[in-house]
Amino acid sequence: MMPPLIWLHEDCLRASHNLFDHAPEAKAVFIWDDAYMNAMHYGLKRRVFIYESLCQLPVEIYAGDTATSLAQLAQDGRDIITGKTANPALKAIMAIMRENAKLSAIADVPFVQMDSPPDLRRFFKYWNKAKKHAFSYDGRP
Amino acid sequence: MEAQKKTFPDRAALIAHVKSLSPGHDGEPVSDMVGGRIAAEAALAQIDPIAYGASRNYLDGAVTRLSPYIRHGILSLNEVRNHALQMGDDKAVEKFIQELGWRDFWQRIYAQNPDWLWADIEDYKTGFVASDYADELPDDIANGETDSAAMNHFIAELKTTGYLHNHARMYLAAYIVHWRRIKWQAGAAFFLAHLLDGDPASNNFSFQWVASTFANKPYFFNLDNLQKLHAGPVRLSQQ
Ligand SMILES: Cc1cc2nc3c(=O)[nH]c(=O)nc-3n(C[C@H](O)[C@H](O)[C@H](O)COP(=O)(O)OP(=O)(O)OC[C@H]3O[C@@H](n4cnc5c(N)ncnc54)[C@H](O)[C@@H]3O)c2cc1C
Repeated sequence: MMPPLIWLHEDCLRASHNLFDHAPEAKAVFIWDDAYMNAMHYGLKRRVFIYESLCQLPVEIYAGDTATSLAQLAQDGRDIITGKTANPALKAIMAIMRENAKLSAIADVPFVQMDSPPDLRRFFKYWNKAKKHAFSYDGRP
Repeated sequence: MEAQKKTFPDRAALIAHVKSLSPGHDGEPVSDMVGGRIAAEAALAQIDPIAYGASRNYLDGAVTRLSPYIRHGILSLNEVRNHALQMGDDKAVEKFIQELGWRDFWQRIYAQNPDWLWADIEDYKTGFVASDYADELPDDIANGETDSAAMNHFIAELKTTGYLHNHARMYLAAYIVHWRRIKWQAGAAFFLAHLLDGDPASNNFSFQWVASTFANKPYFFNLDNLQKLHAGPVRLSQQ
């Protein structure tokens, strides 16, 4: 079976991110997408910071439109593995990729491992539940 | 497809390469804060979560500057918390871990309600309605040429370093929204363009908290006091 393609995006720039465990042998790529970064309002400061981070990661950097470049890199039918994110712009790209490929978005390690979702109406409602886990190693129950 | 270079003789060469990939951004400043895991681990090794508890509200307090690394997942919140737990008992590191909780809180809201990012979650509780606030950020704020020396100082710092202390963010956000009566969205977009840690959730929801569209009351501070205390370069210190 072909190894999957790992797509690192700006929200998961860490070699110890869970997503690497899902495909230890796979090639990882980051798409340097000027239009995306302009849409996110990223100036030179942020771009340099991200590029410096990429230089220290096991990842190849390609310049281009994210969806088009990923489609090209995975055109032989390989699966795509990426990091889970709440970012709607990245989720929209994931939805496009899923039209032609199997894409899995892997969640990062959680800060707190709660058995049921917390009340998010105000911070202290959340924190009263989260603090029961936040002071244990790995945020365990 | 050709892969981009990843090794450079020095930082200047890396910056030149990023500029070549970033048309239209040539003349912009670059922060001294360096990206990457090596710098992130060095910053993590320096944190003092115990001193943090008492001093974090001062501009020269023991804040960590980990935010750009956390923002891009270079450090996980989990490993930062695990590190802090080794440095003191729960009580001693409580404030620091609670602040990490704020990031987790905003990220959870973001995942659940992405449409809240740019929309007023609730009404303003200032006696004004949204249409009373201006849509656009005026040039004097964008250029750091307001009547307030303190605000100009914060704006210059934001634009050159890409970092502001939490209280400087609160002051500047409140100045924009409440003193100048500008929609929080205009301030949030300005911050996102310059902060190295600029994060749609932490930034926009914090702005909504300041504005009162996601809080029971608006966040105000006494601008006159701040001006008097900090007429020159702002030093809101413990001394
Ligand atoms: C108007 C406004 C805009 C903001 N925009 C952003 C933003 O774009 N990105 C961002 O990461 N934070 C934002 N914050 C939150 C906070 O100001 C920064 O996280 C913090 O100042 C970063 O500096 P530090 O790493 O030295 O923080 P420390 O005080 O050392 O905290 C350690 C870490 O905890 C987290 N944290 C601390 N306080 C908060 C908070 N109130 N909300 C969310 N996370 C927190 C951050 O990840 C931070 O790196 C904003 C706050 C305000 C009031």
